[in-house]
Amino acid sequence: MPHFSNKKLILLLVSVIFLVALISFSLRDRQNATLPEEIIKDTVGFAQGLVAKPTNYITSIFSNIESLLNTYEENKRLKMRLEDFAVLQAKVHDLETENASLQELVDKEESLRDYERLHATVIARNPDQWEEKIILNKGSAHGVERNMAVMTARGLIGKIILVTPFTSEVELLYTNNSNYRVSALVQGEKGDVYGLIEGFEAERNELILKRIDSSLTIQVGEKVVSSGLGGIFPKGILIGEVTEITTDDFGLTKMAYVKPAADFSLLDEVIIAKRTITSIDGQDGSGTNTDLSNEKTEAEGDE
Amino acid sequence: MVRFLIPFVAVLLFLLEPEFAKFSPIHFENYTAYLVPRFLILYLIFISIYYNRKRAVIYGLIFGLLYDVFYIDIIGLYAVLYPAVCFLAGWSVKFIHQHLLITTVLAVLLVAVMEVILYEFFLLINFTAMPFDAFFNGRLLPTIGANLLFLLILGWAFKYLIDARLLERERSMT
Repeated sequence: MPHFSNKKLILLLVSVIFLVALISFSLRDRQNATLPEEIIKDTVGFAQGLVAKPTNYITSIFSNIESLLNTYEENKRLKMRLEDFAVLQAKVHDLETENASLQELVDKEESLRDYERLHATVIARNPDQWEEKIILNKGSAHGVERNMAVMTARGLIGKIILVTPFTSEVELLYTNNSNYRVSALVQGEKGDVYGLIEGFEAERNELILKRIDSSLTIQVGEKVVSSGLGGIFPKGILIGEVTEITTDDFGLTKMAYVKPAADFSLLDEVIIAKRTITSIDGQDGSGTNTDLSNEKTEAEGDE
Repeated sequence: MVRFLIPFVAVLLFLLEPEFAKFSPIHFENYTAYLVPRFLILYLIFISIYYNRKRAVIYGLIFGLLYDVFYIDIIGLYAVLYPAVCFLAGWSVKFIHQHLLITTVLAVLLVAVMEVILYEFFLLINFTAMPFDAFFNGRLLPTIGANLLFLLILGWAFKYLIDARLLERERSMT
């Protein structure tokens, strides 16, 4: 290389070192964004929000047209379910009043199921799609905190991983992050069966529910909801439906494939769920704030 | 006026990328296609080839940094790849005829190379466990297709804009 002078070579070397340092700094499992990052995120987020509004409007028109085309089929199906619905509604109302009176009887005011809803708009989706992330237009100024559950009307989609004053980042359930676990339960016929949602199967596009006690039986088609025992999420948010049950790699526990209830493409309006009961972030001091992927016993805490 | 239009279009493309990314992935029967919009870098490649390599590299650095901070949270990834791709594109001018069609193919090829480098990087840091053939069929080919389509539709507009800017600059010089 004849054109490289010494000065240029040194400059190149220094910049490579600087680059590696920068990448390794940002690859650490960071809890908070630094101040310049926050400023950039909020500024870009503001501009992105302006662009997102008209585009969300256009995409909603498209999905309206699509649903208009399916109206006849859907109507037929819905009519069949409507009759069941009236019966179900009466039953739910009955159970709710009974539940309320029973809770009053035992002086139980707070429930794992209670949560405040915070509506947010998706302003961007990570365009390179290697990490499954979306960015919302609500931040710490609106009361969003790290680790809150994020869902659509149809079911759970992910959790908040980073908050700046006016934006927040959501990591979707479709992730390869081995520290990403959601404590879930299967609403079985003979009572609830607990497990952990850990990772997803890329080829099937389904989530994997692991660590199910092998003595308990679950069946295909049963609903999977969040259990609220991870310390962060409220109880009872729908995650999906069991599609297949197998044993895990070691044959000690069962695992199940779960088809998510929420539609992950074309997200635009989401709900951030802030549970009213005290939440625990699953990290006591710095002791557990490390890579948990090999420490199965502490799995429950890291929702 | 065209002078300010060039960075403005870059900002617009930067903001439009994630909006288009919302449509992806597209599911067929048993095939999932990820379409990654790379509008901005295609535009920067055009600037690099037809207008000014140095300016394209600077734009690449700025937008790459924004991209890193806002979406990826790994600072220094796109901030290096974008300028490097712009530099390569500008360097290729010496050897390749600057016909619109050839530029289009070259730009899409450079994006494909960038996509492969990104895949290798994310594989290295365990962000993905996708095997190469799944990446090739499910991500690379659809991405190349979508971006080629984008350039075939809007490539002439980029060139028109840059030509208008060159004309304006020439006029102000004389």
